[in-house]
Amino acid sequence: MPRAHIAVVGAALLAAASAPAPASAQAPAPMLYETTTARVVTCAACHGVNGNSRSDAMPIIAGMDAGYFKKQVQAYAANARPSPEMGPYAKQILDIGLDEVAGHFAAQRMEPTPLKADAAAVARGRTASAPCVVCHGADGKGDPARGIPSLAGQPPGFLRDQIRLFRQDARNPGDTALAAIKALMKTLPEAQDADLAAYYSSLR
Amino acid sequence: MRKLTRRTFLGASGAGVVGAVMGGGLAGCASTMGETQPTGRRRVVVIGGGWGGATAAKYVRMGDPRIDVVLLEPNRQFISCPFSNLVLAGLRDVGSLSFGYDGLRRRGVTVRHEAALAIEPDTKRVRLASGYLAYDRLIVSPGVDFLWDQVEGLPAARDTVLHAWKAGPQTVELARQIQSMPDNGVFILTVPPVAYRCPPGPYERISMVAWYLKANKPRAKVLVLDANPNIVSKTALFREAWKAYPNIEYRATNRVIAVDPGAKEVRTEFDRIKYDVLNLIPPQRAGQIVVDANLVGADKRWCEVSHLTYESVKAPGVHVVGDATTGLPVPKSGNVANSMGKIAAIAAVSLLNDKPAPSVAPGNTCYSWVSDREAIAVVNAYKIENGKVVQIEQRLTPAQSPAVAARAVGWTQSIWQDVVG
Repeated sequence: MPRAHIAVVGAALLAAASAPAPASAQAPAPMLYETTTARVVTCAACHGVNGNSRSDAMPIIAGMDAGYFKKQVQAYAANARPSPEMGPYAKQILDIGLDEVAGHFAAQRMEPTPLKADAAAVARGRTASAPCVVCHGADGKGDPARGIPSLAGQPPGFLRDQIRLFRQDARNPGDTALAAIKALMKTLPEAQDADLAAYYSSLR
Repeated sequence: MRKLTRRTFLGASGAGVVGAVMGGGLAGCASTMGETQPTGRRRVVVIGGGWGGATAAKYVRMGDPRIDVVLLEPNRQFISCPFSNLVLAGLRDVGSLSFGYDGLRRRGVTVRHEAALAIEPDTKRVRLASGYLAYDRLIVSPGVDFLWDQVEGLPAARDTVLHAWKAGPQTVELARQIQSMPDNGVFILTVPPVAYRCPPGPYERISMVAWYLKANKPRAKVLVLDANPNIVSKTALFREAWKAYPNIEYRATNRVIAVDPGAKEVRTEFDRIKYDVLNLIPPQRAGQIVVDANLVGADKRWCEVSHLTYESVKAPGVHVVGDATTGLPVPKSGNVANSMGKIAAIAAVSLLNDKPAPSVAPGNTCYSWVSDREAIAVVNAYKIENGKVVQIEQRLTPAQSPAVAARAVGWTQSIWQDVVG
């Protein structure tokens, strides 16, 4: 939406410069509600406007890689990634159109969590993150080509909860592709979870 | 977006709209007091600044900032009913659930803290104490009102017998009464017959009061008089949670038919029962203003609406959202009202721009606390089929847990922002 408005304002300024009044009849009306925006408007209740969650528990889905987004929605819908909340809503997304919704959120500008992490926890988390860097990268942005998500700027509460779910094999239970990360999580002390979450939430 | 000046927007607008705006003149926008004629700009009036109305007002402005939006809400603060049961348990301050309307003002909504007195769909205007307010489209989010006369003795005692079913002063007063109840006291909560606002709400309240009493007044008792034959929502999950609360006595199919606050006594069809603290949640219907405007159905209680636009089937141009509606397979919840507010706003914006309203389905995420640290949830997903809202799936959390409680807190952080931010 902000991009659309920048375009509108740009067009308006151009129109104002070249032709005084009336303004160009071709200038698009400032309508937010083109179809996909309208259809996913209920998502904002938890995930924030345009997918930029401001809460501690709900992930930011703005700017999420479309391939990763689609894989997760399919896993939620099939109950391979069990979630009482996202299970039903994943089916709603499939009804709206998975490609369309994934593309919509991928095109939104991600605004990192506004929740400020404790500097000492961030420093401890940076030290503890060495084993994570192999896959998620030094910048925490993952590798979309390998299906590895970005963790940077996600809310700390959400990150902490995902660590717990991996450790308990409660996220995609039995999924062999995730066996390595689950094994890794089991080796990490629980006392470190909050530090790791603080560190990755602080990355930009 | 909010940095745009009006002039910029006029420049960006289509020629037809520019003409209309020029014709009305900018001065016409400056005052809306008591006027009966539109100013040239299109105007959406929203009645009620709760979950549905506040959301609708914001989303109309987000959808098309060329539309004037006037929100009529007598209260100066939005106070969330969800999470207000935590106030009764002494776990939250009501201030933590209260928000002003400056967020909406920053989005260009004109917020007027006065009551809408009547709707006149034929002349497309709303009557206020100060005169009339004309609209191009009206969105009404009237909430619920109580059917006082269904309980003998209640009409005369409506200010002293607490419902605490609209979060605010009554919530604070009920918390005070529970806290000052005798150590061996009896707290009676009466559950109204369906349909009422927030189906799991009474049972969450029972859980939280029982939790508080168990911790602070272990000899006290919670007596539930439920007009319904069973726990209405999240039944098995509440039953499981109540295993921790032997201080709850639950009586199904026990409708309260009379109250005598002097004798501190309620009457059902079976018994007369004494109480120390009473929370009588009366039977409900849509807010008075839509009953007066005859937007309710034959039952005189709820409003039937289009599933796509939330327009009243009885009054074109008047959208009704939230708990006041009927006919959709959705609960009367804050999350649903928030959904309906958005979808009605999208419909109003589309129709005012001579475009068809898109098909958008609502959603419902509903958390209930069952102790100081654990919660449960129900989620409903929907689609549109042949112009009607159809449920895709309802799912419950498998058990109560602190993780669900953490997500409940996260939900409030997001959705309160979505409603009034």
